[in-house]
Amino acid sequence: MKANWLLVLLFLLSALFFKGDNSMMIPSIQDVKKKHEGKLMSLPGVVSVGIGLDPSGRPAVIVGLDKSRPEVQAQIPSQLEGHPLIVQILGPIKAQ
Amino acid sequence: MEKELSNLRGILQENRKQLLTRANVVAAGIGYKFSGGKKTSTLSIICSVIQKLPHSKLSAQEMIPSSIGGLPTDVVQTGIIRALQSHTARYRPAPGGVSIGHKDITAGTLGCLVKKGGEFFILSNNHVLANSNAAQIGDAILQPGVYDGGRFPDDHIANLEAFVPISFTGGQSGCSTARGIADFLNSIAKAMGSDARLQAITTQAEDNLVDAAIARPLNPVDVKDEVLKIGTIQGTASGALGMAIKKSGRTTALTTGEIQQVNVTSTVQYGENQTAVFTDQLLAGAMSQGGDSGSAVLDSNNRLIGLLFAGSENITIINRIENVFSALGVSR
Repeated sequence: MKANWLLVLLFLLSALFFKGDNSMMIPSIQDVKKKHEGKLMSLPGVVSVGIGLDPSGRPAVIVGLDKSRPEVQAQIPSQLEGHPLIVQILGPIKAQ
Repeated sequence: MEKELSNLRGILQENRKQLLTRANVVAAGIGYKFSGGKKTSTLSIICSVIQKLPHSKLSAQEMIPSSIGGLPTDVVQTGIIRALQSHTARYRPAPGGVSIGHKDITAGTLGCLVKKGGEFFILSNNHVLANSNAAQIGDAILQPGVYDGGRFPDDHIANLEAFVPISFTGGQSGCSTARGIADFLNSIAKAMGSDARLQAITTQAEDNLVDAAIARPLNPVDVKDEVLKIGTIQGTASGALGMAIKKSGRTTALTTGEIQQVNVTSTVQYGENQTAVFTDQLLAGAMSQGGDSGSAVLDSNNRLIGLLFAGSENITIINRIENVFSALGVSR
């Protein structure tokens, strides 16, 4: 019985430990993209969200738009949790 | 000079038909006669032949006379004259990169051959070989596609073997239970005299990884395990950011590009009123147009990396070949 309590305590401690550990790291660009893409894709005119490079060669989240949409572009930040975000006008994407 | 040429044209006109009926002759025209490998100033009727043969090998009918209508003749070897490799023509055997399509669509591109259970199958998109989920397994596939003059049964090359269903956003539900319930309620509505009907709709469509299908050739000798203007495929590779790529397709033939984005989630329009969301796609610069769908995408070492299926005027969207192979259970 005692051993069980000890296991539970150990589990809770380790969970706390790992949570603390994660919050210290900058999340990967894959995780950031995954976390935000649902919201980004729901914006009017957004046709894609992917991972590419910014002009300086840094990995960036790239949001594609069907056309120029100043009011939507104004809602999209230029950074996402420390990673650059770029908006590109791609045009509507169609099966070819 | 002009007068002389028009006389020559008259003589050529009179004799062209009977010259071209000779088995070996592929063209007849006017030009300066060559003698001993050197161009002379004498105008002549030049007969192009598949192969120059010694007189002893030719019958009297096959022989080209040394002069026609008072004009000297010259015989040059040009070989068989072929039309420039057209991607919309009929090919047997058919390589990758040429026009193909389900009997009810316009035309797309034959990607390449893939293996399943030791047999070769034609790989292309669902929307090319399976009419965007609307086809039945076993339906006729035409090469070239209908838009390029393909007709059943003359151009029937394969039958639809399998496809990965595309999950459309807001489309009719693929869930048979939901459809069953809707049908049941509709029958009650009908019995009650109501005109209103229910339709099971997928609101939260599943994400798609591929737009892919395979077709079984009617005869293995009707297909060729290479890609037009690219050649033989050297295995597979995984698409990565910055990779140089190329494709050979029905509409824009051989084009090159670079992978600009990976992990791409994208909304793709199918016709006027259907859309589908795709995840884990590769995105390249503009290297395709309508009709190029189904093209095999290769890296600079001719390794297969993807299956082209969509694009805009600025970009091209490509399924990862890993996802295509695992969804269809095929390999190279």
